[in-house]
Amino acid sequence: MTEEAKQMIEYILRRIRKPTLVIDENTSLVSSGLVDSMALGDVVLTLEDLTNTRISPGAVKPKDLDTVAKMFATAQRVGKPRK
Amino acid sequence: MVRYRDLIEALEAAPGERPFVTSWVNEDEQETVTFAEFRRRARLQAEMLRAHGVTGGDRVIIIVPQGIPAMTIFVGTMMLGAVPAFIAYPNEKVEPSKYRFGVAGVTANLSAKVVVVDEQFPDEILGHVSLGEHTRLLRTGSGSGLGREELLAAPGQCGRVAFIQHSAGTTGLQKGVALTHAAVLRQLAHLSQGLKIDSATDRIYSWLPLYHDMGLIGCFMLPMAYHVPVVMQSPLDWVMHPETMLQVISEHKCTLAWLPNFAFQFVPRRTRPSRREQYDLSSVRVIINSAEPVRTSSMQEFQTAFAATGLKAGALQSSYGTAENVLAITLSDIDRPSGPSRIWANGKEFRSSHHVVPVAEGSVGSVCFTSSGRLLPNHEIRIVSDTGAPLGEGQAGEILLKSDCLFDGYYNRADLTAKAMVDGWYCTGDLGFCVDDELYVVGRKKDLIIVGGENIYPHDIEEIAASHQAVHDGRVIAMGVYNPDLGTEEIIIVAEVESEDLLANADEIEREIRGQVTAALGVSVATVFLKPPKWIVKSTAGKPARSATFEKLRKEHPELNVD
Repeated sequence: MTEEAKQMIEYILRRIRKPTLVIDENTSLVSSGLVDSMALGDVVLTLEDLTNTRISPGAVKPKDLDTVAKMFATAQRVGKPRK
Repeated sequence: MVRYRDLIEALEAAPGERPFVTSWVNEDEQETVTFAEFRRRARLQAEMLRAHGVTGGDRVIIIVPQGIPAMTIFVGTMMLGAVPAFIAYPNEKVEPSKYRFGVAGVTANLSAKVVVVDEQFPDEILGHVSLGEHTRLLRTGSGSGLGREELLAAPGQCGRVAFIQHSAGTTGLQKGVALTHAAVLRQLAHLSQGLKIDSATDRIYSWLPLYHDMGLIGCFMLPMAYHVPVVMQSPLDWVMHPETMLQVISEHKCTLAWLPNFAFQFVPRRTRPSRREQYDLSSVRVIINSAEPVRTSSMQEFQTAFAATGLKAGALQSSYGTAENVLAITLSDIDRPSGPSRIWANGKEFRSSHHVVPVAEGSVGSVCFTSSGRLLPNHEIRIVSDTGAPLGEGQAGEILLKSDCLFDGYYNRADLTAKAMVDGWYCTGDLGFCVDDELYVVGRKKDLIIVGGENIYPHDIEEIAASHQAVHDGRVIAMGVYNPDLGTEEIIIVAEVESEDLLANADEIEREIRGQVTAALGVSVATVFLKPPKWIVKSTAGKPARSATFEKLRKEHPELNVD
């Protein structure tokens, strides 16, 4: 697991207020209800910071962010380098 | 003044070359249709529906993602004199069985002729749903188009039901609010006057869902009938990128928007301070806060955060309304530079007598109320006590409404309609008071807690409990439970803690919350139920759902099941 993925997991656990929960890169987050739609905006902002990219609206759907692994794959696929 | 016989005539009168809907996805992906093109596409949808047997008066349910196709199906349905109704599109988390139950319930209640879904609609969601023998499921497609003359051959729709709006709820048994063309057009005329709509210069921004009255009326019907361009993005795209609201308004120089209260905090908190100055909100004339209780602190946070963008003082205003009155009942004065009026009242006096005794701003024990503005023209309200007796200025009671925009009833639910209408007055179920001809809304009647004759507003308790650092803001419900031994209600609080590990200190947190409520309001709390994150049931609108949460609580705590 990359350092960025670890940081994302730590962030998500803080954001959903479940510090003792164990999740990994492949834990389902959106479809399981752990991350709700209101938290997705925060996840996208953090993903942009961790990957130093900008993710355009419309380029991602919640299913693209369902796991931490999918988040980074999505950032690689649709993220544009920050100016 | 209403200029048209029905909504379709209003659309037909729009200048063809003027932009109508811009569907904004991102800076590189946008589609704008003019009024002429919108009309053409709506006619194509009408033809598709007519080919499937839809005629005047039939009900058509539309479950299509937010965008121009959904809007043209809606209008195409109205062109046939049929009655459209939007239903929320399923999201990733929806349980297919629950969603099917909801769709089947609404379809049966409306006796819908057709349910329209898009090509991507998941099969497993509707796989085995029973829509009834007279209901047809259609996937969106294209038709060859009808002539304008043919579609205008349904005149005189003014007094007929134009469409059905559905109230939010936690089950599929939502009430269908039937609205006539006449009622909608009168409401739009009042809004246009109150908002000083200028079709040549105004441009509306929206991320609001079309199945919600603010999205459907404020951001679709109003621009359609008053020929104002509207720039829309999908609610899902917005919630994942809240900052884009600022980008869209800046790019398109939007002048008007409607937002629920939470968005006034949600957007600034998700827009990095370093990025705020790059936006230009100087074009904004007014942003209306409505659909949930208006909080001054939320509006101040937005105003402060975006002061450097050119956002005008007084651009943030308020409104109170209900789907049963099409949309709005009141509107604050959009020319008032300090925003909606506020009033500070003696909290103890208000709770004990339901009466506003003004005190100085910020006084100890005071409560602050934000005005929702003055009544729209041809609107009349009464504030009444539990016995139906009229109450005077500054006295809080249930808000009853008479207006020229009231609904035609709950579709197929004469029982519910009869319950809601008393002697021509619509019982809103909301509590409020008037001061200086302005309405202040304080809560829902059914939520009021009465302890030993003293009226306690759940909102007051919830605000105190939510301020405890262990409690997740906004995830608190206070309610009254009858105690037969005492012969009155007791206050109970359900609150979600920030994280599960805090439950180890539950006794201490409960003690502190009780102490804070007692100190501030002078009432005792019988029980504080601390629950882990995400325990409280939310409504389809994302708000804590009182009755559903109480039912869940009763299951976990049988001691609450007292007859």
